Amino acid sequence: MKSLLIALALVITTTPALAQQKTPPPPGPARPLNLPKITEKKLANGLTVVLAPLPNVPKIAALLTFRSATTATDRDAHPGIAQIAASVANEGTEMRTSKQLKEELRSIGGSLGLGSDADSTTMNASSLSEFSSRLFDLMSDVAQHPSFPETEVKLAQENTIQQIRAGRADPGFLVNERFQKAVFGNHPYGFVVPDEKSISALTPADLRTFVTKYYIPNASHLVVVGDIDVDKTFAEIEKAFGGWKSGTVPPDDNPPVPKRDKRQIYFVNRPGSIQSAIYIGNVSIPRKDKDYFAIRTANTIYGGSFYSRLTRNIREAKGYTYSPFSSANTQAKTGSFLAGAFVRNEVTGPTLLEILYELDRMRVLPVTDEELSAAKEFSTGNFSVELASQQGLAGRINTVYTYDLDKNFINDFRPKIEALSTADIQRAAAKYFDTYRAAIVIVGDWDKVKDQVEPFGEVTIFDSEGNVVKS
Amino acid sequence: MQRLAVTCLALIIVLTGSVSMFHAVQAKPLNIPVVYYKLPNGLKVVISEDHSAPVVTVGVYYNVGFRLEPKGRTGFAHLFEHMMFQGSANVKKFEHAKYVEANGGSLNGHTDFDYTNYFETMPSNRVELGLWLESDRMRSLDISEENLKNQQAVVSEEVRVNVLNQPYQFFEWISLWGNAFTNWNNSHNGYGDLAEINAATIDDVRSFFKTYYAPNNAVLTVVGDVDVNEVKKMVEKHFASIPSQPMPARADLTEPPQTKEKRVSQTDKLANLPALAVGYHIPPQNSPDFPAMALLVQILQGDDSSRWYQRLVKEKELTLDLSGGLNYFGNEFDYTGPMIMTTRTTYKPGHTADEILREMDAVVADIVAKGVTEKELADAKVRYRSNFYSQVESSFGKTHLLSALALFRDDPQQINSLLTPFENVTAAQIKSAAAKYLVATNRTAIDRVPEAKPQPKTGH
Repeated sequence: MKSLLIALALVITTTPALAQQKTPPPPGPARPLNLPKITEKKLANGLTVVLAPLPNVPKIAALLTFRSATTATDRDAHPGIAQIAASVANEGTEMRTSKQLKEELRSIGGSLGLGSDADSTTMNASSLSEFSSRLFDLMSDVAQHPSFPETEVKLAQENTIQQIRAGRADPGFLVNERFQKAVFGNHPYGFVVPDEKSISALTPADLRTFVTKYYIPNASHLVVVGDIDVDKTFAEIEKAFGGWKSGTVPPDDNPPVPKRDKRQIYFVNRPGSIQSAIYIGNVSIPRKDKDYFAIRTANTIYGGSFYSRLTRNIREAKGYTYSPFSSANTQAKTGSFLAGAFVRNEVTGPTLLEILYELDRMRVLPVTDEELSAAKEFSTGNFSVELASQQGLAGRINTVYTYDLDKNFINDFRPKIEALSTADIQRAAAKYFDTYRAAIVIVGDWDKVKDQVEPFGEVTIFDSEGNVVKS
Repeated sequence: MQRLAVTCLALIIVLTGSVSMFHAVQAKPLNIPVVYYKLPNGLKVVISEDHSAPVVTVGVYYNVGFRLEPKGRTGFAHLFEHMMFQGSANVKKFEHAKYVEANGGSLNGHTDFDYTNYFETMPSNRVELGLWLESDRMRSLDISEENLKNQQAVVSEEVRVNVLNQPYQFFEWISLWGNAFTNWNNSHNGYGDLAEINAATIDDVRSFFKTYYAPNNAVLTVVGDVDVNEVKKMVEKHFASIPSQPMPARADLTEPPQTKEKRVSQTDKLANLPALAVGYHIPPQNSPDFPAMALLVQILQGDDSSRWYQRLVKEKELTLDLSGGLNYFGNEFDYTGPMIMTTRTTYKPGHTADEILREMDAVVADIVAKGVTEKELADAKVRYRSNFYSQVESSFGKTHLLSALALFRDDPQQINSLLTPFENVTAAQIKSAAAKYLVATNRTAIDRVPEAKPQPKTGH
């Protein structure tokens, strides 16, 4: 065997045409994009239905978004109610116990869960496509008739309280919670998890009232992607959701978004921590803002891709961290831009310096043409990969309806990215990568790293429960 | 447009209440096209056309995971994976990432029990770039002292962020494997001890590369919107002249049978709640018991309708969550050595690991005594099929399975009949698998409780 391999290797190495190529091969001709065909329809009760066939596997992905059930909804009377309602809605309906629901899902190869954020509550479901009508029946039942059984509500309250306690041991949870509060203050966007008293105070009756009022078809949209036939699927949806009664769309009562006026350090003390978890960022823009494409692309260059400036600097050149990142989050009212890294205690100060330096560099100097063209290819190429999966396409369509974007968003994505100039990127960075008014959030061992942190600004120290320890 | 064959399932669209219909529903075979061959240097090549989207995944899977890393060098296979992004003869340090991203793609690598993989997903007209990048590092990895030091620091931070600075410290993997297995290759910490990661030398890197990163120890898989014949030519051009290497004898991974229950208690400085990890040795993949075991795992802990979830989280309200599965990192097909089924659960203060184990045992005893219902079994098969479709939906998902089947079974065509043994499992086989494998003597359980600490001072 061994001698045979050697003999073959000899034959091969005598063929000069097979020498190692020194330069990257050029791309072949571009393949057709096949953008999905998207059909929008409306039911008589006001539910918007959006359908896109993508028969890559015999499954479907369905997202049902309730746009008026947000973490801000009824926040004064019942903090946390949207989250608890979302987590218990699939634990029993007037027709089905929790266990029956889960067993029906299992028998159709399905899943159905809900989650809420500052802009909406979304039901995320899937099943084998041969069982689509059964999935729609379950989704419709959960949307219209969740019964919030006493025992399920009590269990969810207890477990949520315990899960939040468990989360307070995790630096990732703590740094995110403090960052949202630092950037958005008392605005509903600063809400992460409710306190234990608020959770315990909720009753099944509160939850039923909430859902009746805010899970309404005329402020909702249903996106279905997968192995579907548009007409047949629409008929199934009409049958399942046609009887859902419309309601009164509540007025938007979100207060104005706060602005930060100075740099401030928010330090969550975690004695014994061997790393500092660092987030640096600020308020940015709403999803619909005209700067969306510019800040998205600036983010790609700064820290939103693997070959980004931040990764090249603090990982590949300096070895401070494993997975530095940045993200440009945009939501209905506003967003945040943030850069982050988890680093060993000894390099906490140097990491802050480099993150801030790279942010300022984006503001002060234009990016190179090569960086911009790479970022454009990165965005458009990965966008087509995203659209090739049922969950990816459904999620992308869902943002169009949740944030009321132009219906041509998917088709316009490439031309809008391609139109950006280096000046557009610098302008967006100058506006939103503002280090002088940044929130700097660190979770770590204060005694070990304070000397490295204090030179960067005024510090307020919190404990892991969120109490101010020293300001 | 290529699509997977959909089963003709009109007969079970009879919905609830018709229990007699729930039996042995056979899915029609999948129809994923697979071209499989070997280059003279031993490289296995799998190509699968999929024209549903203009994307391609290029994956190279090496037949070496952390089980085979050298003694005294825990974490080395993973450190080596990082070194594969540090440049090769014609690609400078980290420029692999630059090429892929600037061509609209994404990339990654992963070190597992029995394989290490590298892959990029890109617009399909960039397929040759992916092949060139993979061939350059397979042929001529550039290894320097400076880059090794840099990646030792990076990997140390990875271990800190994912293990050492976290509550529970991955105990359901690192500690559970450390206790359930006795053979060093299976039991050692694959993420690695910081001191051993940092002790690795440039000679270790060179020797590991030469030994294991040879074409005759790898599979190259290309899945996507490409033409098989064109890809074959490109593969020939870039890979055929990479010399093969003599393969060393493989380490013996066999594990003596466990004869008595292992119980371990740990304290955790960072955690706020107690947690329990449980592992049972499972039969090897070629055992006739294996498909039944896989469905039993589904029935016990596959989703929130499962028996253990319902018992522990819902009925007895002992635990907050339940996770785990048959292969902690992957699936039924992407490993070769001995394996344990794992279960991890965070439980509520005031309860004990004994209570939880008692309830788990009661659930198993019920299956051993009465078996599972036909409906439960039929549902488990539907769930299994549905999960399988999700695994093969993306070009990466197909790349992964095809590569594992080529690497470990020398037969990627099996992807189209992979479900059959699972569809054929009977309730009697489930019952007998429960009786045979889910016994205390075959089990390791680790109870991890928060270390007693003084109340934190707050509010001043």
